[in-house]
Amino acid sequence: MSAPAQASSDRYPGEAGVEVANITKSFGPDEARVTVLNGVSLTIRKGEFVSLIGPSGCGKSTLLKVVAGLSDADGGKVSINGKSAREASREKAIGLVPQSPALLPWRTILDNVSLPISINPGANAGRKLRDPKEILTNFGLGKAIDRYPAQLSGGMQQRAAIARAFVFDPEILLMDEPFSALDEMNRDQQRMGLLDFWQSNQKSVLFVTHSVPEAIILSDRIVLMAAHPGRIAEIIDVDLPRPRNEALYATDAFRDLEGYVRNALRKVMEAAHV
Amino acid sequence: MSSSIAADVAPKAKTASPMARLAGDWLPPAITFVVVAVLWQVVALNNPYVLPTLESIGNSMAGDPHMYWANMLVTCQEIVIGAGAGILFGFLLAVAMSELPIIEKAIMPLIVVIMVTPVVAIAPALVVAFGFGMLPKYIVTGLVVFFPMLVNSLAGLRDVDQKALDVFKTLHASRWETFRDLRLPGCMPFVFAGLRIAMPLAVVGAAVAEFVAAGQQAGLGSLVTISAAQADLPVTWASIALLCLLGVVLVSLLALLRKRVLWWSDADVIGR
Repeated sequence: MSAPAQASSDRYPGEAGVEVANITKSFGPDEARVTVLNGVSLTIRKGEFVSLIGPSGCGKSTLLKVVAGLSDADGGKVSINGKSAREASREKAIGLVPQSPALLPWRTILDNVSLPISINPGANAGRKLRDPKEILTNFGLGKAIDRYPAQLSGGMQQRAAIARAFVFDPEILLMDEPFSALDEMNRDQQRMGLLDFWQSNQKSVLFVTHSVPEAIILSDRIVLMAAHPGRIAEIIDVDLPRPRNEALYATDAFRDLEGYVRNALRKVMEAAHV
Repeated sequence: MSSSIAADVAPKAKTASPMARLAGDWLPPAITFVVVAVLWQVVALNNPYVLPTLESIGNSMAGDPHMYWANMLVTCQEIVIGAGAGILFGFLLAVAMSELPIIEKAIMPLIVVIMVTPVVAIAPALVVAFGFGMLPKYIVTGLVVFFPMLVNSLAGLRDVDQKALDVFKTLHASRWETFRDLRLPGCMPFVFAGLRIAMPLAVVGAAVAEFVAAGQQAGLGSLVTISAAQADLPVTWASIALLCLLGVVLVSLLALLRKRVLWWSDADVIGR
């Protein structure tokens, strides 16, 4: 807690990370078209941890899919260090942590985490690949490297999935509610693990979550989204000092911010019902 | 030596429970078989023109083992070549269909038409077309296993973990990489389900092929028809027993192979 408070905006001054400009997307047949994203613009600076939070149907997962290049927007532009999402994936610039661990059950944990290095090896040139064993040790899975996913707990599996996204040193990590399938105690342990690891390896992260405390403890900024149509309602700076740890939960600053975010979230949800 | 002693000692501590489990697993089916054998003998002794006695079947096999062996080899050959080709072709076509949906659109209707046509009806036509050699038998045996393999493999190749597929996509994995590292290993539970259906069908296919596409008059199926026509019941039933044995061996081999390839798919095999 002794580190000076650092405004997210000046961690890497002048370096563009991810630029999301005026994204629009709708689904369904012409006569019953639902606008899922309506003019969403967002910047994630290099090394910044940004959370997306909002009620169901606000399009946060869709936005993540658009940034990942897994889904095409109807309008607008995504640029990852100046490249389109497609170009970025060609260069393996995107690390995805899906909602379920999605580990391959026939591969050991070590082989699962090594997978992104062996896939599309042409894009490995000139990047700082990590040693899969070392990264697994950092994630507390050093003793599990030769085990198979089915032999690990859900929390350990999800940690392996996060290690898999960090191992090939992507420029941005996209995490889609990675802890949502875990029980609350396990979730807290996993989010602390991620916090620790991220604080010593500050990468740009876009993190979709349902949990307000999770968003606050992890993020530099929280993007609050509203539903119908999905749009950004408010962007909240989390001016809490780093490095952070569990002790932060008990501070007044944390509670004040939690109250503020919950209130903002409530307003967004009430507005949707009017 | 010390290790063998240790191995001897270790299970002795819990001798009772594995023995009991063994008895629990084997005793009920063993009793069923004994009861069926006794009933068989009762019927056979009272109705010699309906069923042969078990010892006459055994004597028939022991009396001319070479003849049975030679015919069994012919049937095995039909299964290995015919069913082998049917399985391989079914799987490869499923791969082609999953990679290029246009192929499925183009030929699936034709395959369904072929599959609803009774194989027994096609066989004589195949004899006319391909002669009295082994080829029509290979085709009939292959046809029978082809469809379950195709349908199951295709389902397996489609049933890919979407979240894992997303990870592959963001890494810009090539089609080949996605197939090699995700679809191919992932479809194996379905492939083995297909094989589990195909293996007993392969024996049926080979026997039916010999019935209808007789030609060379060799194989266990031919042996059944010929001996039945001559009312030589011990030979008929000995041949049926060998066909049955062939099916049991094939299914057991498959179960062994499955354990080797698909250990990851059965959570209890891995253990925690």
